[in-house]
Amino acid sequence: MRRMLLLVIGTALVTATAAYAHHSYAATYDVSKEVKLEGKLVQFVMRNPHSFVHIEAPDDKGVTQRWAIEWAGTAQLGAQGVKRESLKVGDEITITARPSRVPGEYRALMLSLKRPLDGFTWGNRTGEAVD
Amino acid sequence: MNKALHARVAGLLALIAVAVLASVRGSAQGPARPAVPPDIAGEWRLDNNEQDTTAQPPLGDYLGIPFNDAGRQRADTTAESIWGTPEYQCRPHSAPHQWRGLGGARILKEQDPLTRTVSVYHMQFMRSLDRPVFMDGRAHPPAYAPHTWTGFSTGEWIGNTLKITTTHLKDGYLKRGGPQTSDMYTMTEYLTRHSEILTIVTVVDDPIYMDEPYVESTTYTYDPTSSVAMETCNSSSFAENGGTDRHHVPHFLPGQNSALTEWLKTSDWIPVEPTRGGVKTIYPEYRATLNKSVSVADLKVPSSRSANTVDKRIADESPRDGDVHILPVQGNIYMVVADGTNLTVSLGADGIMLVDTGTAKMTDKILTSVRQLATAVASAPTTNTCFGANCPGKWGWASPYMNAVISSPAPARPLRYIINTSAALEHIGGNERIATTGFFPRGSQFGGAVENVGPRASVIAHEEVLNRMSAPAGKVAAFPAAAWPTDTYFDEFHKLPEYFNGEAVIVYHAPAANTDGDSLVYFRHSEVISAGNLLSTVSYPVIEVDKGGSINGVIAGLNQILDLAVAEYRAQGGTWIIPGRGRLADTADVASYRNMLTMIRDRVKDLKGKGMTLAQVKAARPTMDFDGRYGSTTGPWTTDMFVEAVYQSLQEKK
Repeated sequence: MRRMLLLVIGTALVTATAAYAHHSYAATYDVSKEVKLEGKLVQFVMRNPHSFVHIEAPDDKGVTQRWAIEWAGTAQLGAQGVKRESLKVGDEITITARPSRVPGEYRALMLSLKRPLDGFTWGNRTGEAVD
Repeated sequence: MNKALHARVAGLLALIAVAVLASVRGSAQGPARPAVPPDIAGEWRLDNNEQDTTAQPPLGDYLGIPFNDAGRQRADTTAESIWGTPEYQCRPHSAPHQWRGLGGARILKEQDPLTRTVSVYHMQFMRSLDRPVFMDGRAHPPAYAPHTWTGFSTGEWIGNTLKITTTHLKDGYLKRGGPQTSDMYTMTEYLTRHSEILTIVTVVDDPIYMDEPYVESTTYTYDPTSSVAMETCNSSSFAENGGTDRHHVPHFLPGQNSALTEWLKTSDWIPVEPTRGGVKTIYPEYRATLNKSVSVADLKVPSSRSANTVDKRIADESPRDGDVHILPVQGNIYMVVADGTNLTVSLGADGIMLVDTGTAKMTDKILTSVRQLATAVASAPTTNTCFGANCPGKWGWASPYMNAVISSPAPARPLRYIINTSAALEHIGGNERIATTGFFPRGSQFGGAVENVGPRASVIAHEEVLNRMSAPAGKVAAFPAAAWPTDTYFDEFHKLPEYFNGEAVIVYHAPAANTDGDSLVYFRHSEVISAGNLLSTVSYPVIEVDKGGSINGVIAGLNQILDLAVAEYRAQGGTWIIPGRGRLADTADVASYRNMLTMIRDRVKDLKGKGMTLAQVKAARPTMDFDGRYGSTTGPWTTDMFVEAVYQSLQEKK
């Protein structure tokens, strides 16, 4: 039992450290702002240290852009039930995210993702925040 | 036993123990031996809980950093989003931040098998490459050797403290969230073990960006139960910055980063001025300015001086010492540093290929050095390994009837090709004499020379190079015909028709770059690119607008190199890039140079868009944060000339 507990703690520590950003989120993204993107998923790269979802969605001028949404690493997503095949190219999705601080950059930090077709969501349950 | 007596007995026992131990050591070991340094090997747990380790450091927090104006502007304008560029996605933490990065530290020791002294310490962190610290007294490499993320470290014990001196570091950051370093900083660390505690004092000396060295300390605890986690990193060829431009360089124009004081909304007790850094703000004397008893301008602080002779170190990357230095690169390729310019040499079974020929005055020394190198590498003598009548049949000296011990190898194969990356004097100066020492078969009979030309190497270049060096009949050419390229190309690239020294060699045109005739040369098996004047680690690029050059062409040429090159691991090594001037580089170095030029280009474009004249743009100093590294106020290519070339080449074509 004690060994099991140690294993759990050990795993949690590794997960926690591996998930920490090598770059600073606060410096990369404007955490006081939020954007809502509705469009078609064109790429899901599940990888470390962070995954990326690419979505084609309009910018604030209504022009369709390819947005790169930074998501959690494989350990965190895996522990929360997200698999590589959870999202498919062509899925209509809605994303809320923190926008990049750099003007004209189509990059954002994932807050929530929703697929209306089947109700798949991420971002609303405890722990579903990018570490 | 009462407590006081207990204490006295315990103290007495301790004294006796110390005396006995001392006598035993003295009698058993004879004369006193040097103190044995403490063992620092093992697993160490990070104890610091600073904002830049466990939390997200706020943007614009430069408290305690002795920034100069250049350092402050560089920090303000460098976006953290730069991590998203393909070349930086998997870079490890910068050396100054490694001790503060999460995940603990592992220190291993490599011992000399005979003396059992520690010859190398290896330091590892979660986001690092293996970092050797050489304890065997070796010298640091020459300035034209590559820089790495961990740098080149040597160590020595001073009493119980390990002093580590590190040079050859890539540019990076002091801490996350903004403050940057140049690639000219040095780092000195002092590691002291007190029982289970390891204290690391780090001194970062970067006069390009700071008025005095930056000092910080970090504490670790010995913890054999901990283990350094390994961060895996999977980068992409696309930028994480969004959009579809893999060459996108995120940055802020000067004055446009509005988030720098955002964090002070919740820390409003901190005055703004010290958050901007500066040597005067980091000393206690600064408090006198807060009650206005002294102005910042009049404030005197006991600032310590930098020991980093940065101007000399930059110049040493491309020494103008009238001599030739050779640096082995990879595979068949060698970098020849020849009095302020670099040549690339391919050596092998097919002979010699030379990319650029240096200045005319260096021809003799270049020829001598390359011949010696070719003899030593491609035609090295070997000992006879078989004697007597039963040796396998070999013609010549090695046959059973010629029982010699040392061979007399054939001379090195001749120079076959010269490639000129441009018509710049330092690239073509040796063409005339060096080409005639070579041989390229192009006569009427296979293997023969053209009768009235004589044997000479093939000289390859873009046709604009030939146009610049030659002239139509009846007009005076700038160079004698014997120096002209013999084989020119006009397309996007020129493939050599067959392998040379076992590999494909491809010459790519970089249109409208330094001039209209620039080439870069890719050695596809050795994984080396000769960049010509597209890359210089000692100056801004020379852009000759009157010869068809442009800032956008130079940036496009650097992006072309980045598209061809691949890092070996974690944004380091892999494809090596030989610059026209300066130290051997890799993808991260080219990206850094490209990023710098993109930032300057965008600043000049912005100022020009506001209607500023050239004089006004120069006065605005769009290169200010890079001048200490690449600028010059004297010599053949000054910062003023560079800014003017950028400005002129951004003129809209009429």
